Amino acid sequence: MAATLDFRTHADQSCRYSEEFVSIYYDCMDKKRRNLTRLYLDKATLVWNGNAVSGLDALGEFFESLPSSEFQVQTLDCQPVHEQATQGQTTLLVVTGGTVKFEGNKQRFFNQNFLLTAQATPNNDQPVWKIASDCFRFQDWNS
Amino acid sequence: MAEGGHYYSEHDDRTAPFRNSKGRGAHKGRGFDRSRRDRQRGNHAGGFGGPGNRGRLKDTDGDVAMSDGSQDSRSQHRFNPYVPPFRKGDGRFDRDRRQGRGAGNGRGGFRGDRNMNSRSGWYKVTVPHGKKYDKKWLVTALQNICSVSYTPVHYHVDHNRVHFFVDDSAAANALHKCSHKITDSDGFKVEVHVNPSAPPSFLQSDLKPEHLEHLKQCMAKRFDGSQQALDLNNIRTDPDLVSQNIDIILNRKTNMEAVIKIIEKYIPELTCLNLSNNRIHKLDELADLVTKVPNLKTLNLSSNELKSDRELDKLKGWKLVELWLNRNPLCELFKDQAAYISAVRQRFPRLLKLDGHDLPPPIGFDVETPTTIPPCKGSCFGTDEIKALILRFLQQYYSIYDSGNRQPLLDAYHDGASLSLTTPYSTQNPSRSSLGEYYKDSRNLKRIKDSTMRFRLLKHTRLNVVAFLNELPKTQHDIASFTIDVNTYTNTLLSFTVSGVFKEVVVDGKSRESTMAFSRVFITVPAGNSGLCIVNDQLFIRMATTEEIRRAFVAPAPTPSSSPVPTLTAPQQEMLTAFSLKSGMNLEWSQKCLQDNEWDFNRAAQIFTQLKTEGKIPDVAFVK
Repeated sequence: MAATLDFRTHADQSCRYSEEFVSIYYDCMDKKRRNLTRLYLDKATLVWNGNAVSGLDALGEFFESLPSSEFQVQTLDCQPVHEQATQGQTTLLVVTGGTVKFEGNKQRFFNQNFLLTAQATPNNDQPVWKIASDCFRFQDWNS
Repeated sequence: MAEGGHYYSEHDDRTAPFRNSKGRGAHKGRGFDRSRRDRQRGNHAGGFGGPGNRGRLKDTDGDVAMSDGSQDSRSQHRFNPYVPPFRKGDGRFDRDRRQGRGAGNGRGGFRGDRNMNSRSGWYKVTVPHGKKYDKKWLVTALQNICSVSYTPVHYHVDHNRVHFFVDDSAAANALHKCSHKITDSDGFKVEVHVNPSAPPSFLQSDLKPEHLEHLKQCMAKRFDGSQQALDLNNIRTDPDLVSQNIDIILNRKTNMEAVIKIIEKYIPELTCLNLSNNRIHKLDELADLVTKVPNLKTLNLSSNELKSDRELDKLKGWKLVELWLNRNPLCELFKDQAAYISAVRQRFPRLLKLDGHDLPPPIGFDVETPTTIPPCKGSCFGTDEIKALILRFLQQYYSIYDSGNRQPLLDAYHDGASLSLTTPYSTQNPSRSSLGEYYKDSRNLKRIKDSTMRFRLLKHTRLNVVAFLNELPKTQHDIASFTIDVNTYTNTLLSFTVSGVFKEVVVDGKSRESTMAFSRVFITVPAGNSGLCIVNDQLFIRMATTEEIRRAFVAPAPTPSSSPVPTLTAPQQEMLTAFSLKSGMNLEWSQKCLQDNEWDFNRAAQIFTQLKTEGKIPDVAFVK
C-alpha cells in the first residue's frame, strides 16, 4: 500500500490528516467529551502530566473527571512515523501546543503529542485513525 | 511567647519551616543540606506541616480563632451584625480602645519608636478650615485642652484643611473630644475630626528580606496544618513581629502581597483564613489569592474597614461556605438582615454560615462539574528497565549534542529518520528574541499552509537531520531538569517525550546567553547493544519562564566523563564508595550528598532516605 508512495506525498497527506485530527480532537475534548474515547484504540495509553492511564474504560473515567476545557491550539506539527517502528502499520506523530483553560483553574500552556494509527473497522470500508498514545503536559507543570 | 511547643530540635523533620512545595527545588537548589540550612537560620518557629501547632497569644484582643468552629459567646454579645453595628460618635473608638491596651503608656506619639506604632493604630486628625491657623498655635491650643499628650505626625495642609496623624488611640479619643472647644481669633469654634486611618504613606515601605523571613515564621506558627487553617487575626500585634520591630499592616499593599505570596507558595491547600482585625479596607490584593488558593472555604474578615459590599465582588471565585464580615462599615449599609444576606450570597451562593449564623442551605441545579484537575507528577517511565535505557541514551545523546560538534549524532539516527521543529507563535518580532534562530525553521502547520514550505521544513534522512542539527545554536542542556514520559513501548518501538531547559552557549561574545525550554518527542527503534536508534524527532522550543530560569543549572550538570574530584582523603574516598553502594546513587551525587552533610555518613544517609521518599532526587543521580 503506502510503501509505493514517496515520502513527499506521505508528508503532504500527514499534514492534512493531522489538521483534521486536531480540529476533531479538541472540539470533542471541549464540547463532546463523552465521544472522546471513540478516538482512542482499545489499548491506548495516555500520560497526562505524569499520570498514566490506559484502556478505554480508564480513559473514559479519566476524561470524565477533568473539568470542562477550552483549548486553543497555537502550534501543530506532524511527521509520518517510520515504518520500521510500526511494522508497516501507517502511523502519524502529531504534536500540538497552545493554551488550555480548565474550568475553575487558570489558563495554562500545554504541549501534547499523539501517535495515530490507521485501523480497519468492521463498519467502514475505509480505515480510520485511532490514537495509540497520547502524552500531555502543562508547560509549567512543576512550578 | 505563649508556649514553647513549637521550638523543635534542629534534627526534627518538622524543622523544615516550610515544606518545599516545589518538588524539584529541594534537590536542585539546595541539595541535601536541608538540616544545615535550618540550623544556620536559627529556625525556631514551627512549620506549616505541623498540625495542631498553634502557639499564639489567644487573647490579643479578645477575638477567637476562626478554626475553632464558632465564635465564643463573648464575640456574640460584642457585636450583633443584625443590629446596626456602629453608632456614630461614642461607640466608634471602642475597638481601638481595646486594641490600644497593648500600647502601654497610652502616650504613644511618633517618636521614632516603631514598637509603639506597631501596637496601636493610626488616626487621621482633620481640622476643616485649619489652613488659616498657625501650626504652632493650633497644636498648642489643642494640647492645652487635650487630656492626653499627643504628637502630630505629618502635619500638612490640603486645600483649606489641616491634617495630621496620631498613632495612639487614647490621644485620638481625647482629640476627638476637643472639637468645638477652642474659639479662634475670628470667633469660630475649631472643629476637630478624628478617623482611624491607614498609616501615613511615608511610613509605608517594602519589607526587607529578613523581615519576610520573620513574617514567614510567624505565619508558620499561626498555621494549623490539621485544619489547613491560617489565623492572621490582628497580626500586627504578634509578639514575634513586634519584638523584631516589624510592622505588618495588611492594609498596606506591599504587606498584604507579602502575606499572599507566602500563602501561595507554602500553603496553597489552605481552607480556612482569618484576617480579622487588620484594618483592611480594600480586597484587591486578596483577590489574587482566589485562583491560587482555590480550596478556601472559610474566610474571616470581621473587624476590618470594608466600606462597601462591592469589595466582595473581587473574591467571587471562592466557593466560600463560611464568611465573617461583622464589624465592618459595610454592615451598616443594609436596611435589614435579608438585604445583607442576599448581597453576600449573591457573591457566594454556597455560603452556609454568615457571621456565625446558619443560613438556609442553597438549592442548586444538578449540573455540578468537576473543577479540580489531577495532580501533576514527574517523569513517567513505566518500568525501571526502560528508564535505565532512556536515561543512558539521553546522557549520550546530549553529551554529543552539547559538545559543539553534533556530527557524531549520525550514529543516533536511522537512515530514514525525520526531524522537525516548532516554536510558539509570538506577536513580538521573533528576530528580536532568542527564539529568532529557531523561528525561521519552525514548522507550525497552523501558520504555514504552503505545502512546499511544509515539506522543506521537514528534515528527512539521517544526513539532512544531522546537518540541520549542526546548524542550530550551540547549547548546554540541564539534564537534571529533564522530565521524561514514555508514550509507547513495543518490541519494535520506544517513543518518549523529554522536556526540560537548556541554554545557548555564547560563542565569540556575539550572542547573549539565554535559557530556553523544550519539549521533544523521540520515536526510536531498538539498535544493537541495547541501544536506541531515532526514527522520528520532533522538537518544540520556547523561551524559559522566569521560574525555569531561576531553577535551571542549579545542580552541577553531571556529565558522563566527569569523575569524582581526586582531592578526597582516603577515608572520604572510602566513605564515598560505601555511600554510593548503599544509596544506589552515582559517585558524583553521592559525593554531593556527603559534602552537603559535612561527611557525616549517618546524617547524609538520613537526608538521602528522606529526600528519596519524597521523590526529590532526580533520576540522573542514579545513572552510573
